[in-house]
Amino acid sequence: MQHHSLFNWISAILASLVLLFIIAPLAGMFISSSPAEIASAAMDDEIQHSIWITLAISFCGTLIFALGAVPLAWIMARRPFKGKKIVQGIIDLPVVLPHTAAGIALLGFVSRDGLLGSVAQRAGILLVNNAAGIAIAMAFVSVPFLINAAREGFAAVPERIEKAALTLGASPSRTFFTVSLPLAWRSVVSGLVMMFARGMSEFGAIVIIAYHPMTAPVMIYERFNSFGITYARPASIVFILVALVFFISFRYLASERSPINKTEDNAAD
Amino acid sequence: MLQIESLSREFGSFRLDNICLEINRGDYYVLLGRSGAGKSLLLEMLCGLIKPDSGRILLNGNDITHLRVQERNIGLVFQDYALFPHLTVNDNIAFPLRVAKMQKEEIAEKVMSVAGAMSISHLLERLPVLLSGGEKQRVALARTLVTSPEILLLDEPLASVDASLKDNIKRLLRRLNRNGQTIVHVTHDFDEAISLASRVGVIHNGHIIQEGKPEEVFTHPVNRFVARYAGIKNFFRIVIDEEKGMSHGITEFGNIIHFEDQKHQGRGLVIVRSNDCELTRIRKPVPNSIMGVIDDIVPMASGYEVAVNAGDFIFAEISGREMEISGYVIGEEVWVSFRSDAVQSLNDKEDNNINNR
Repeated sequence: MQHHSLFNWISAILASLVLLFIIAPLAGMFISSSPAEIASAAMDDEIQHSIWITLAISFCGTLIFALGAVPLAWIMARRPFKGKKIVQGIIDLPVVLPHTAAGIALLGFVSRDGLLGSVAQRAGILLVNNAAGIAIAMAFVSVPFLINAAREGFAAVPERIEKAALTLGASPSRTFFTVSLPLAWRSVVSGLVMMFARGMSEFGAIVIIAYHPMTAPVMIYERFNSFGITYARPASIVFILVALVFFISFRYLASERSPINKTEDNAAD
Repeated sequence: MLQIESLSREFGSFRLDNICLEINRGDYYVLLGRSGAGKSLLLEMLCGLIKPDSGRILLNGNDITHLRVQERNIGLVFQDYALFPHLTVNDNIAFPLRVAKMQKEEIAEKVMSVAGAMSISHLLERLPVLLSGGEKQRVALARTLVTSPEILLLDEPLASVDASLKDNIKRLLRRLNRNGQTIVHVTHDFDEAISLASRVGVIHNGHIIQEGKPEEVFTHPVNRFVARYAGIKNFFRIVIDEEKGMSHGITEFGNIIHFEDQKHQGRGLVIVRSNDCELTRIRKPVPNSIMGVIDDIVPMASGYEVAVNAGDFIFAEISGREMEISGYVIGEEVWVSFRSDAVQSLNDKEDNNINNR
């Protein structure tokens, strides 16, 4: 029993240290800045603009890439095929790459001479130093979060329920939209939130593809380089607060228990 | 109506092999087999969820082997019901009608009608998670029946239902069948087959090993596997020695068994039903009377099953009243006797072909 208690104490202390490690720098940043500095940063047009484009581009990029990522997640959850492990490895690749290296790779792809860049330019779109380029950089590093969360959601849907829909006359696409997707919806939304959050915090890949228009992380870096930490800190605080508000709201919406699960709990009671 | 011709399909190390069946309109066909025998796979092939490697499926003379699952008009009710958890009972039942793009009024009418027939009208606004096993079963049946399937396939429909509700569901299934619904029902439960089937097929290791009317199959099992399914426990492997016009065999433990069924030559396998065995303390003057020691007494719903060790184990069923009067105890010596016409011979060759007995 004593061992148990000692173990609990050590676990609690170690856990607290890790939490402190996460909280302390953030708390320190808040303590070091006066409310007036934070309010002034919040009113700064440049900061407001950079936060706005960061949120907007990450949000739009997440939705656009979801059109392909969600079906890919379903295929990964449901379809057996040769080389599936290799495909899963490719999906996870952006998570392990240094993001600046990802930026360099993407730059070759989206620049005027690149495969996508040249096609886009023919259509009159310049990807480098453009919102579209930023969205691509954000998506490159964050789309694995969506694919993997959605894949787990689809895998958790009992296959028999999908088979039942087929035997009741539904086409595979109708089965996907009326059965598989609604049942995996929470995981899909959770993946969308993670992708959005990871996209808006991206710096490494974006700074190589598009210094301008300046996203919040790039703007914070630029203020730090040009004016030092005193000027970068309030901007960081404002961005963190806004990001937290969005992240927590989306997270709350995603994790809000559906009526099915609520009634399941009641039934269990 | 439904003809299955030489249907085969390999699933890794398992193979459904050369399945041939004919199911007529109005049949209640029960496919009996252990779990892993290939019953559910066969159902999934019939409704088109799995494609066969070879063979044909004909429905009303039309080859539907390669028809898409949505176009077959064969309904399947899964063992765990597979209700859509995010839809109410009403929406579950309406699902196939909406898929068929019916008018709202027609959908509502059909849902009400089938819900009434299944006695679930009061459950229409509930989510499946709030239903009992029996209610889920009725909803799953209603959802399939609303499509008016030519054939209703049921995968272990009573396996997940409380014992107290089984009779209700059985009555419901019999009523559906009486009203003309052709049903193919797979189960591992012999009692279900007896109480529901108009025809029965026994499947084992991907083969159909016996088929026919239930009374034929269970009174004349072709081998030990089917006999076991029919609740028979007394199996004797004998060496034949013919004598005075009546066959006469010796078991490997030296017990002599007389029988009238003369299918065997040389060696053979014979069975005796437990309820044909009589237990006495004094030897009865009948050809088959074997002495042994009571090894176990097991209470049953209808009395007791007494296991007698006579070298061969012999099981005898006796009534509760007989037990009360005789007061048999474990360890005492008794005589087990049975008529020679109660001994049936089994097809030993087929028996040897059955693995995993």
